[in-house]
Amino acid sequence: MIKSKRLIAGALTAALALTAAACGGDDAGGDLTLGVAFDTGGRGDGTFNDAAGRGADQAESDLDYTVQELEATTADDRGPNLEALAGAENKLIVAVGFAFGDALGPIAEANPDTYFGWIDGYYDGPNIITTAFAEHEGSFLVGAAAALKSQSGHIGFIGGQEIDLIKKFEAGYIAGAKAVNPDIVVESQYLGAAGDNAAWGSPDKAKEIALSWYNAGADVVYTAAGGSGRGMIEAAVEAGDGKWAIGVDSDEYQFDTPEQQAHRLTSMLKRVDVAVYEMAKNVKEGTAAGGFYPFNLANDGVGYATSGGHVDDIVDQLEDFKKQIVAGDIVVPTAP
Amino acid sequence: MSGVISLTRMPTSGPRRLLVLGFGLLGIMSVVRLITGYDDLTSSGTIGAALRLTVPILLAGLAGLWAERVGILNIGIEGMMILGTWFGAFGAWKFGPWIGLLLAVLGGMLGGAIHAVATIRFNIDQVISGVVMNLLSLYGMRYLSELAFDGVPQGGISQSPPQRGAIPRIDVPFLSGGWSTPDILGWFEERGWFLIGDLAGITRGLTTNLSLASLLAVLLVPASAWVLWRTTFGLRLRSSGESPESAESLGVDVIRIRYLGLLISGGFAGLGGGFLAIVSSSYYRQGQTAGRGFIGLATMIFGNWRPSGVLGGAAVFGYSEGLKLVAGGSVTGLFLFIAIAAGLVVIASVVARRSRRGVTALITTGVAMLAYLTVDEVPESLTQSLPYVVTLVVLATASQRLRPPARAGVPYRPGGSH
Repeated sequence: MIKSKRLIAGALTAALALTAAACGGDDAGGDLTLGVAFDTGGRGDGTFNDAAGRGADQAESDLDYTVQELEATTADDRGPNLEALAGAENKLIVAVGFAFGDALGPIAEANPDTYFGWIDGYYDGPNIITTAFAEHEGSFLVGAAAALKSQSGHIGFIGGQEIDLIKKFEAGYIAGAKAVNPDIVVESQYLGAAGDNAAWGSPDKAKEIALSWYNAGADVVYTAAGGSGRGMIEAAVEAGDGKWAIGVDSDEYQFDTPEQQAHRLTSMLKRVDVAVYEMAKNVKEGTAAGGFYPFNLANDGVGYATSGGHVDDIVDQLEDFKKQIVAGDIVVPTAP
Repeated sequence: MSGVISLTRMPTSGPRRLLVLGFGLLGIMSVVRLITGYDDLTSSGTIGAALRLTVPILLAGLAGLWAERVGILNIGIEGMMILGTWFGAFGAWKFGPWIGLLLAVLGGMLGGAIHAVATIRFNIDQVISGVVMNLLSLYGMRYLSELAFDGVPQGGISQSPPQRGAIPRIDVPFLSGGWSTPDILGWFEERGWFLIGDLAGITRGLTTNLSLASLLAVLLVPASAWVLWRTTFGLRLRSSGESPESAESLGVDVIRIRYLGLLISGGFAGLGGGFLAIVSSSYYRQGQTAGRGFIGLATMIFGNWRPSGVLGGAAVFGYSEGLKLVAGGSVTGLFLFIAIAAGLVVIASVVARRSRRGVTALITTGVAMLAYLTVDEVPESLTQSLPYVVTLVVLATASQRLRPPARAGVPYRPGGSH
């Protein structure tokens, strides 16, 4: 018994020493520091978090920021990660993801000298810079692309958590598809309820859904479910020629293997990288101010990818839709 | 000492009775399909997806079974599955899918070994050791990902690059059109006749696009039953879980056999994880196991610590999950299924004059019927909690008949009984 107590004491001491080392190691030199708090998934997810990571990389190379990154391993890490970044006296801290909801406000209020950028969330405060991405507008265009490319008039949408944010993707996609072909059949399925983080990391389930749709005759599927999306492209490859997959947030074509690229129709771009970079730039130039910044089709905050050239033949129609949305002639719904 | 006597043979519930029950349930399902028009209830697509979703849960359940049969609780199955996903994906990425599966098993066994040393050698509380296992795996694999996958194309701290190649999949010839033979079952499934169409759909789902890994996993069920109930090793292993003192007095090395039991348990969990990373998808992704280790434990209880019971429990969860994914709207058909099945129990109870069972069944019929008539779409959060709800119901209603190993979870010291 005494032996095991000594073991535990030893382990605790080691843990404390590690924590202290981690806290002490962050006193980096330059004045401009950028802290990025990724959501679960983090860098390498190929979509959402990677987009934010690219923005941070650009800020590091072009604006001379020193970047410190922390990634939430579980839902409980978000608050502590923000606290840690605030404690390390970063000039700007970017919280990547709506899920930072409860944690961000109080921490921002307790650190008035730090700017807090929040992707996909809104909280009122003089030092809180929030973004409003018009995902429904970008999704409208890829929905139109799906309908223009579909031979069968049967397409699908897979969402991550069933929340208002992801429903915007679904609503835009359906509206875009119906604008091209009013009779089109759009399947829709979510991977999890609100708060179920497994929804962003279940490629196996996304694959089963996509596979069943492809086998039932659908030929284009769009997935807005973070890391689960890779299950869809695997299903498209397995289902064979003429089956398309549409990526989300980043240009997922860049992450695909060559055989997957042959099935990647396009991706809905959500320029989180631009948002992060702009925040960093404004903070550096002293022009940053708290508030609400829209990113939509009009300022190219959202869009669609053309990598691979699979949409080259319909790009004129897509641009036409884009013009109508920017001009206000088409109002894209935000709820299905 | 009836416990010792019952150890010597595996109780059977009568194969003929089981066959009748199976066809009865299939008949009800067929009726439901014809009434509602939900062809997906027994379509080959649904069953194929159900099988792929069943396998990881099944392997997790068998992992729990092996551990508890030897007398040790294994809350750490989830963690051992995570080890399996990571090592499996790493192996599949570096060397190909079969080596990947092998590494997944070894990774899971590593977890089993850690749990064994903690609980057997150091007598750490078995629940605490299991919980630590889960956390250790989650963060440990994250650390290894940073070393192995970070900076590799398509890889990152929370996911691996995709594997090379895949485990071969087969269409069984003469049944499902393999080797360019006619797809006989497909023909019958399309007709959709009562019972025949359903039987064809189910069989075709199980024999089309069948991964050899799925086949291997299902074969592990009879293999487990045979080893545990028909071999000397199995008898010793189970005696360690029922009455280690008696086993020791008869010359069984309980400590050694407990280590072996946990290594096997870890291997099963690792294989389940490897299946997720190599067959269900083609890479490791953090959080991929999504609580299947715990659902596996639920099926172990549900299945009364028997391999066939675990298979049944895993199939129920895999089927409901598959139906939800492939044909979400059809899930309400299951309410009608429950209503009809419970209704038949009511009739049987009235005939047999068993009023208490009759009333329970009547209430079930009413609730299920009401649910069928009123609910259009089952909320996501409800279907996700289904395995846990079912386990609670089983525990509440059948706890008198459940028989866990007598000494599962109780620490054992050699010579402790003297």
